[in-house]
Amino acid sequence: MKMEDMPLSGPDNTRLEALAHDIYSELVEDACLGLCFEVHRAVKQGYFFLDETDQESMKEFEIVDQPGVDIFGQVYNQWKNKECECPNCKRLIAASRFAPHLEKCLGMGRNSSRIANRRLASSNNMSKSESDQEDNDDLNDNDWSYGAEKKSDQNSPRRSKSLKHKNGESIWYNYNTGISYETLGPDEVRSLLTTQCGVISEHTKKMCTRSQRCPQHTDEQRRAVRLFLLGPSAPTLPDADAVETDSFDIPDAQPLMSRLQWEDSDISPTDSASSKASTNHSDSRKPKKKKKPSLPLNSGGSSSQSNISISTKKKRPKLSAPPISSIYDDLA
Amino acid sequence: MRDSYNRFISLSLFLSPSLPAKSCICHMCGAHLNRLHSCLYCVFFACFAKKHIHEHAKSKRHNLAIDLLYGGIYCFMCQDYIYDKEMEQIAKEEQRKAWKMFVCPCKCVPGIGEKYSTWEPTKRELELLRHNPKRRRITSNCTIGLRGLINLGNTCFMNCIVQALTHTPLLRDFFLSDRHKCEMQSNSCLVCEMSQLFQEFYSGHRSPHIPFRLLHLVWTHARHLAGYEQQDAHEFLIAALDVLHRHCKDDNGKKANNPNHCNCIIDQIFTGGLQSDVTCQACHGVSTTIDPFWDISLDLPGSSTPFWPLSPGGDGSALNGESHTTGATALTDCLRRFTRPEHLGSSAKIKCSGCHSYQESTKQLTMKKLPIVACFHLKRFEHSAKLRRKITTYVSFPLELDMTPFMASSKESRMNGQYQQTVDPFNNDNKYSLFAVVNHQGTLESGHYTTFIRQHKDQWFKCDDAIITKASIKDVLDSEGYLLFYHKQFLEYE
Repeated sequence: MKMEDMPLSGPDNTRLEALAHDIYSELVEDACLGLCFEVHRAVKQGYFFLDETDQESMKEFEIVDQPGVDIFGQVYNQWKNKECECPNCKRLIAASRFAPHLEKCLGMGRNSSRIANRRLASSNNMSKSESDQEDNDDLNDNDWSYGAEKKSDQNSPRRSKSLKHKNGESIWYNYNTGISYETLGPDEVRSLLTTQCGVISEHTKKMCTRSQRCPQHTDEQRRAVRLFLLGPSAPTLPDADAVETDSFDIPDAQPLMSRLQWEDSDISPTDSASSKASTNHSDSRKPKKKKKPSLPLNSGGSSSQSNISISTKKKRPKLSAPPISSIYDDLA
Repeated sequence: MRDSYNRFISLSLFLSPSLPAKSCICHMCGAHLNRLHSCLYCVFFACFAKKHIHEHAKSKRHNLAIDLLYGGIYCFMCQDYIYDKEMEQIAKEEQRKAWKMFVCPCKCVPGIGEKYSTWEPTKRELELLRHNPKRRRITSNCTIGLRGLINLGNTCFMNCIVQALTHTPLLRDFFLSDRHKCEMQSNSCLVCEMSQLFQEFYSGHRSPHIPFRLLHLVWTHARHLAGYEQQDAHEFLIAALDVLHRHCKDDNGKKANNPNHCNCIIDQIFTGGLQSDVTCQACHGVSTTIDPFWDISLDLPGSSTPFWPLSPGGDGSALNGESHTTGATALTDCLRRFTRPEHLGSSAKIKCSGCHSYQESTKQLTMKKLPIVACFHLKRFEHSAKLRRKITTYVSFPLELDMTPFMASSKESRMNGQYQQTVDPFNNDNKYSLFAVVNHQGTLESGHYTTFIRQHKDQWFKCDDAIITKASIKDVLDSEGYLLFYHKQFLEYE
C-alpha cells in the first residue's frame, strides 16, 4: 500500500492504528534483517564458530568451592619450596625469605649499615666468604617485621658480645641464637658443618655453633647430624690437621682466651630464651603459617645443588691447622 | 561507487534534508519499503522483496546492487551477499565521516563521534584459530584472572594491593589490550612489570605467582618504602601509583611530569580533584583551591579526635532517621564528616584578600572531580604522640555508593550542615560500585592483610596471599574494612 493513498487526517482511529502497526512491523523487520546480515557476514567471513570452546578446557578452569581447598582445587600451604633469583645479586633465594634478603641486598634495611660497617672494619682479616655467615646471622635477626622497634632490647646482649670480638671473629657471632637449619640452603649447611659442631639441640631445634671439638657434644652426635643433614655423601669429621675453616688469623692467644671464657659459660639458657622469644614473635605475626618446611635434603637436595650457580659462591681458602684443638686439649 | 555509497547509505540512514526521501522508491512498483536496492552500475532503485531488482540485473546485466538499509552488496551471479575488503574499507571510511558530520539541530550532542566496531580476526588469525581449537573462554565460572601470590616475607601488604589493582576493570582492560608502549631504556619500568603481572594472572596457571621482580622494582623506585616499618598497604598503594604514574607517558608520548597535564592511565583512572573552600567569616568571601588526590583518608570514631557531631552547631542526626548514638557508623557518616564545614577557630586566622585582614574562617572540603576508581582509606592506625594503636570500630560500607551529596556541586544544600538526600535516579554520574576490600587482621605490631575482590558481577573471592577462595557478599560486608575500592558504574565519553 502506498503511503500517499492513506489519508492521515480525520479522527479515524483504525487507520491510524493500522498505520502505526505498519511502521512498527517495518521497524521490527529492519532490526531482524540487520541481525541476519551480521550472522551471514560472520559465517561467510569464517569467524562465526570461532568462540566455541571445548568441554575439556572449560572443565579445567572451573571454580572449585569446597572447604580445605582453594578455587583451583589445590590444598593450602603446599608452596613452601618456591625459589626466585634476586635481580640484584643473582642468587637463588627461597621465595618466603626474599624480602628480608632484598632489604639487605639493596642496603636498605635498618641493619644494613651496621653490617656494612662491620664488614669494613674486619675486611683486613677476613675473606669475602664471611658474608655467608653474616647472612645467616641476619636471617636470625628477625628484624624484618611490622613495627618491631622493640626488638632493639633483645639485640643488645648480642651486640655487646660482638664488640668483644671485633677483629675477624665474627663467625662466633652466632653463638647466642644458634642456627635454624631449616632456613638454610644445602650449600650453606655444608659450609657450616665444616666449621661448626652442628649438633641439633633437642629443645631449640637449632644447630650448635661451637667449634667441631666443642665439649658439649660428642663426635658421635656430630657424625649423626652430618648424616642426617647431608646424606651418606657427607664429609667425615676432619682430623685436627685438615680442618678447613673460614679464614681467621689468630694472631695471639689473648682474644682466644677471652673467647674461651665466654664459651665455658652456660649458653643454652640464653639460646633458648632468645630463640623462644623470636619463635613466639614470628608465630603471632603469622598465625596461619607454621615454619616447619620439610627438609629437601636427600636426592632432591643434591639435585637442587646443581642448580645453584657455584660461581657466585665465594671460595674458601684452606688454612693450615689452627691451634684451636691444641687449646681445647690444654683445657680439657 | 564511493559516491553511490556515500550519498545513499550514510545519508539515508540519517534522513538528511538534502536528499528527498521521496526519491528512494522502487522504479518499478513505487514501493519505498521491501528492501530497496540500488544498482551499482546505473541510477536505478528497485525493491528486493518483489524481485524487481533481480529483473533489472538480468535485463541490463548489471550484476551488483547495494542494499539501501545496511549497505550490503548483492551479487546476482553468486546469488548472495558478498563482502569485499575494498568496498568495506570505503564503507567504514564514509560512515566515520558521516558520524562526525552529524550534528543534532538542537546541539544537544557535539557529534556522535566514532562508531564502535568489534574486533574481527584477520585471515592469518582465522587460520591460527582454526588450527588450535582449544579455547579458554572467561565465563562467570572461570578461574582465569584469579591467581594467588606468594608471600615474600611479610609482603602481604603488597600482595593485597596487587590483587586490588589486577581486578580494577579499567586497568585490566588497559593492560590486556596491550596499550602500554614502553619508552624506558632499561628494563626497570614498573608499568611493563604491571603488564607482565596481568599476563601472569590471565595465563591460566594455578600455582601462585612470585612477585619478587615487582617488589624489587617498587623498592628501587620508591626507596623511602623499603626497609622501614612502613609496611602499610595504604603507603604501598600510594607509592606504587606514584611510580606507575612516573613511568607512564601521556598520549602525546611526552613524559608525564606535570600533574595537571598528565593523561596517563593512572591519572585517568585514579586521580580526582578535591576542592577546599575557605570562607572568611567577616566578608563571606570564598577562596577556593583544588588539589589532586588518589585516595580519601577518613577519620573514624574511636580515635583521639572527636568524630561526632558532624557539623558545627547541628548534630547531623536529621538525616534519614539515622542517629549517631545507636547503630554502626557508616561510610557515608565518615564522608559527611570529611566534607563538613569546619570552623578554624581564633588561633588559626586566615588572611582574607577581601577584607585585607586576618579573620576567622570556615573551611570545607568537597569533591570537585571524582576519579573513576575511588579509594577510601579508613584511618585505623593511630600514630599520635601519646599512643599507637589500631582502631577496630566497625564501619559499615555499602555495595553501591552515590557520591552526589559529597560533591562540590551539592555544597549549597549542605551549607548549614543540613543534609538532604535528593537522589536523582537519572543522574548516573556519581554512582559507584564496590569491587575490592583490603582488610587488616591483628594489631599494630603484627598483623596480616587480606583482600576481597569482585571478579564477575556478583562473585567475590578472598585473596589471602597464595590462597584464593570463594567468599560471600556477607563476608565482604561484615569485614572490618581498611581500604575500600569503588568503581564508577557508568563511564562517559569525554
